[in-house]
Amino acid sequence: MLTALTRAFRTPDLRKKLLFTLGIIALFRLGSVLPTPGVNAENVRTALEQAQAGELGNIYGMVQLFSGGALLKLSVFALGIMPYITASIILQLLTVVIPRLEALKKEGQAGTAKITQYTRYLTIGLAVLQSTAFVALARSGQLFQNSAELPVLLNDDIFTVVTMVITMTAGTAVIMWLGELITDRGVGNGMSILIFTQIIAVFPSELMNIFRSRGWFTFAIVLIVGVFMVAAVVFVEQAQRRIPVQYAKRMVGRRMYGGTSTYIPLKVNHAGIIPVIFASSLLYLPQLVVTLFANSTTPNVVVEWIAQNLATGDTPIYMATFFLLIVFFTYFYVSITFNPVEVSDNMKKYGGFIPGIRPGRPTAEYLNYVLTRLTAPGSLYLGVISMVPIFALALAGASQNFPFGGTSILIMVGVGLDTVKQIESQLQQRNYEGFLR
Amino acid sequence: MTIGISIALILSSLLMILLVLLHKGKGGGLTDMFGGGFSSSFGGSSVVERNLDRLTIITGTVWFVCIIALGLLLKP
Repeated sequence: MLTALTRAFRTPDLRKKLLFTLGIIALFRLGSVLPTPGVNAENVRTALEQAQAGELGNIYGMVQLFSGGALLKLSVFALGIMPYITASIILQLLTVVIPRLEALKKEGQAGTAKITQYTRYLTIGLAVLQSTAFVALARSGQLFQNSAELPVLLNDDIFTVVTMVITMTAGTAVIMWLGELITDRGVGNGMSILIFTQIIAVFPSELMNIFRSRGWFTFAIVLIVGVFMVAAVVFVEQAQRRIPVQYAKRMVGRRMYGGTSTYIPLKVNHAGIIPVIFASSLLYLPQLVVTLFANSTTPNVVVEWIAQNLATGDTPIYMATFFLLIVFFTYFYVSITFNPVEVSDNMKKYGGFIPGIRPGRPTAEYLNYVLTRLTAPGSLYLGVISMVPIFALALAGASQNFPFGGTSILIMVGVGLDTVKQIESQLQQRNYEGFLR
Repeated sequence: MTIGISIALILSSLLMILLVLLHKGKGGGLTDMFGGGFSSSFGGSSVVERNLDRLTIITGTVWFVCIIALGLLLKP
């Protein structure tokens, strides 16, 4: 493992890529702690400490997780990459609904580039919305429950507020650019590496929180459980079913082609963690509604019900909804990303077939059947893993942002595995021994 | 002084957003994220793209300096 690492650093162009990625990450972290001009940093810190000591209103759970604590610090990069993720989700969903986007997607590379461009525009639009809402919350003192006596902003004339909103929006644009730079010239996928960084960044302090408030015994148990969970997640993420494919031999001129046998790898969890992100983002909406309408003088029955059942993470209705949404989105996303008809058509074109099954429609039906059955445990696994923090909440009394919480563990393991694999494939261009043996 | 730097910050922010949007998106959206799909990194960048990069870096530096300056000025 270590020799592989030194070898990675000894390879000139890989070293350049790794250092580039690290540099971007450093810049990104710097922006995440740099307060936006106009924010009273000291007041924010005291308010944050008070909120953490008390019961932190978990309105921003997911957003806070993805921003690595930058959100409530009101830093320049406060919004993090959440706008980009939300924009991607919206466009993904719209491709199913709007025929024009679907046509674009089928166009291949050029169409996908156009969709990416739309995503970027939508990201900026969402960033304007979110930063406005966020600064407005900070201005009226609703950001922290106890900030009435601690004004978060230095002065709240309209000019300062506008400057803050525009700065945060630009910050989101910069984050998007940094992510793309990593994808382009660094190692791995930029956006996911940035999320990874933010989760890792809050990890030690969350662990220390447990250690301080619960003592070393709970701490040790949490660590052991965490290691087991990481192992389990790696196990399931790597699990795949290999469907054998036999290619027919062909004579082209005097050469023999084909005749090889390969396999189609179908992963148990083909959708990755995207269903979890989808579900969390959707369940974030009711909380938003509650915060928007909570202050109206006439109590609304619907709002009251939402506030009681969907706004906090420990009610049975919330848990059931979350679980069902994850299962639904797993199937949904798998059906978007893997098209059995297309795969079987491609196989037929190149003279491939699954032994024992006719090419064409029967193959597509077979693939669909296998994938559907394979996704069932995959979706249940995703649901169970993302339930873990809620159970931990009940058993160990840990906070919602439990460090070994489902979403963060899934993201950490997923991104980590992916990045290591990319580095490995780069290493293999020079010599054959990589990280994973 | 404060107003001047604020205006500079607003202008550089707007320019920054514009420049980033002018870049060709290479993120690839969510499909690429979290271990799905194939990451296609095709070729080097053109002259236009390189100049755009340079401009973006310069604007970014100005933006960053503005933030720090304004932050220090506004400090109570």
